[in-house]
Amino acid sequence: MSNIVQWTLGVVLVCSSLGIVLARNPVHASLSFLLTLLTLATYYLQLSAQFIAVMQVLVYAGAILVIFMFVIVLFQDAHYQLDQYKPKSSSILLLAAASAFLLTLAVLGRNFASVSPSQHRLPDDFGSVQSIGKLLYVDFFFPFEAIVLLFLVAVVGALYIARKGT
Amino acid sequence: MDLSFSIWISMAMFSIGIIGVLAKRNALIFFLSIELMLNASNLLFVAFANQWGNQIGLIWVFFILVVAAAEAAVGLAIIIHLFRSKQVVDVDQFNELKG
Amino acid sequence: MEYILGLAVLLPLVGFLLLMAASPHISRRLASIVACTAVLISFLCFLGVLYNYSTNAMKPFDVVFYRWIPLPEIDADMGFHLDALSIVMSLIMTGIGFLIHVYSIGYMEHDEDYARYFACMNLFIFSMLMLVLAGNLAQLFIGWEGVGLASYLLIGFWYTRPAAAAAATKAFIVNRIGDAGLLVGLLLIFRLFGTSNIEEIASRATASPIITVLTLLLFWGAIGKSAQMPLHVWLPDAMEGPTPVSALIHAATMVTAGVYLVVRFHALFMLAPITLNVIAILGSVTAFYAALSAVGQTDLKRVLAYSTVSQLGLMFLACGIGAFYAAMFHLTTHAFVKALLFLSAGNVIHMMQGTTNMEKMGGLMKKFPFTHWFFLIGVLSMSAVPLFAAFYSKDLILEQTHLVGDDSLFFLGLLTTALTAFYLLRAYMLTFLGPMKLDEKIAKAIREAPKVMLIPVLILALLAIFGGLLGSTFDHVAYLEEFLASIGIVLAREEPSTSVYLLPETWMSIGATTLGFLIAIGFYLYYGEYLRSSWNWLRRSFYIDELYQKTIVNPLSSVSRFFSGWMEPAIFEGSINGAVKTTNQSAHLLQTMQSGQIRSYVAWMAIGMAVLYLFLGI
Repeated sequence: MSNIVQWTLGVVLVCSSLGIVLARNPVHASLSFLLTLLTLATYYLQLSAQFIAVMQVLVYAGAILVIFMFVIVLFQDAHYQLDQYKPKSSSILLLAAASAFLLTLAVLGRNFASVSPSQHRLPDDFGSVQSIGKLLYVDFFFPFEAIVLLFLVAVVGALYIARKGT
Repeated sequence: MDLSFSIWISMAMFSIGIIGVLAKRNALIFFLSIELMLNASNLLFVAFANQWGNQIGLIWVFFILVVAAAEAAVGLAIIIHLFRSKQVVDVDQFNELKG
Repeated sequence: MEYILGLAVLLPLVGFLLLMAASPHISRRLASIVACTAVLISFLCFLGVLYNYSTNAMKPFDVVFYRWIPLPEIDADMGFHLDALSIVMSLIMTGIGFLIHVYSIGYMEHDEDYARYFACMNLFIFSMLMLVLAGNLAQLFIGWEGVGLASYLLIGFWYTRPAAAAAATKAFIVNRIGDAGLLVGLLLIFRLFGTSNIEEIASRATASPIITVLTLLLFWGAIGKSAQMPLHVWLPDAMEGPTPVSALIHAATMVTAGVYLVVRFHALFMLAPITLNVIAILGSVTAFYAALSAVGQTDLKRVLAYSTVSQLGLMFLACGIGAFYAAMFHLTTHAFVKALLFLSAGNVIHMMQGTTNMEKMGGLMKKFPFTHWFFLIGVLSMSAVPLFAAFYSKDLILEQTHLVGDDSLFFLGLLTTALTAFYLLRAYMLTFLGPMKLDEKIAKAIREAPKVMLIPVLILALLAIFGGLLGSTFDHVAYLEEFLASIGIVLAREEPSTSVYLLPETWMSIGATTLGFLIAIGFYLYYGEYLRSSWNWLRRSFYIDELYQKTIVNPLSSVSRFFSGWMEPAIFEGSINGAVKTTNQSAHLLQTMQSGQIRSYVAWMAIGMAVLYLFLGI
């Protein structure tokens, strides 16, 4: 059974990712992104990472995606002007880079083709809010606070950059 | 869930993200592809956390999520700023730092 | 004592530095005063040293100023080694040097570069003093090279004349060829004896084949400096310099440095009989060859130049048979007489605005009432007329040669004496006697030389007459002989009696001189025209210069032209230019990577990542 689930989710993920990249309309691209995010959340649930799944929906789908949509809609006129300009980067270079990268992944991926599934059972509270919370607030408290500081800086920075006037 | 399957899916998403970065000229799609890459790496972390039974992987994902959010905010602010000066969303036009 | 010596040697150096530094600004009067005073004080100091030395039981001593090279095998100090030989040489140099300095005040009065001339003269005196007062070979070599440098500067003094510049270069290069031998000899000495102190070397030497090689090398250096065959070609050309320079450097002092070297190392040379033979033969052959060449010259100074080569050959002949004292005696008298000849010739040349061609002179006896007497005194003295100075010394050499048993060399010496008498009298007659060859305008402007040029010549003439008393043996042992014997410089064979007139050799040499005079007078009276002209073979001194030019100079020139014309721009500059171009092109190539395009950057990063993963993964 888990086979069908994982294959379904996998196919949906890949297709929606392709959808982001191949979409003509940026709005369609962002909707594809939404689909990707939700599917990913489901995948996380399958992997017993409940907290992360919920966080994914809340933060990524709920906040980041929304910002993206705002900006896409803000620039909707500009999207169609793209066709006027010629691409300035060398396509050969990009093609070469893409193929090199894919080649690498193919080569590396073969090593992981045969990994045996885990032997031990996961603890019951694996990935739950309590255990993650305990880890965050006790063992990784310093990085936690550092991340909060980072956020603050990002907010201030974003406001400053995007303000009107020079 | 097979670990190798998760790895393949993650790699596929990552490569699609890279291709998106290389192929699309629209700055917003460019950014979206970067987020896609981040998500691919998140998937990898969660899969491995599941495999080894170690919750530290999930903590990492948490942090990457937060950083992605901050980065998205700042990046979009920059794009808005650039758009004001050049009136285009084509990344190829922003080549002032050449030479 | 050290202070006096130091003062004596360093004063000319100070004079040189001062005059060189101030040469555009200094006045003529001040320049001449500085230069002449330096040399005069030097001379007086050496007189004082002589007095001190002779009243101090004539003990040689060393003065060390500065530990220069304390390395184990070289061990050279900067200092002075004082003994009879160095005192004699220093006195000659500073004395005659002073007279020539005073003479130059008059000779160079019309010249622009007054101060530079005197600076170079002072440099020469300093270097020569370093040479003769050196106690070790390294310092001697410094003096050796220093006089070569001063000679170069002074021969090429009028450097705007291409002939003078070429002559100076030639002198320096030929000298250098000799110095190469000296340098190898020096290194050999360091290796053999482990020291460069001359006294030590003399005491440590033992007879062996390597000593022969060593002495040959040292002699090669002497050949270069003293213009013997085959390295004699620079001296006649060196007459391009001012006449006082020719008098000082190329007659009296610098060219005698070779003789000094051989005499200084007489202990070594006595251990190598083969070398002594070589020296004797080479010396006498050179003397004869130079005398022949002098017969055919038409230039007054070149006659005197070849005469110098010839007399130096005689000095080397004396060294070669072991009569080192005779060589030194002849060196002393030759210094007086040759300087006298050159300076009186200089009187004439100065008035004729630099013409030295005897074909243009003649009948100047009336115009130069004093000078022609001086020149005649020089001629008589050099030709070994009895009672004049050089008679005693030259006769001593010939006598020693005969006593040693070298009859062929003795005969060669006799021939040389006859030729010397002939060409010197010829020079006198062509210049001063006979009909005048100048046109009236120039002839009216000529008059006798000013006092500043006459008085040094007068002093030298007196020395040329009475200087022989230093070494004369008329019923007592000669002063000079006794002086030099204190350090072992003696004759090869003792004279059978103290009266000089009763020896057969003496009569033979007087006979040779008289023969030469008679032939010259005969030519003058009956075949006047023949006297003036000459054979090309003799004038070009057997075409040796041309031989060297064709076989040595021309191939070397073409080799150096090849290197500088082709090899240097193509290979050396070419490689540097190539490196520059390569760097520029690769920079251009790399610049295309910095396009400012984000996607290109990402692409390069992806490629880099791929390469890295592949390397790490495989």
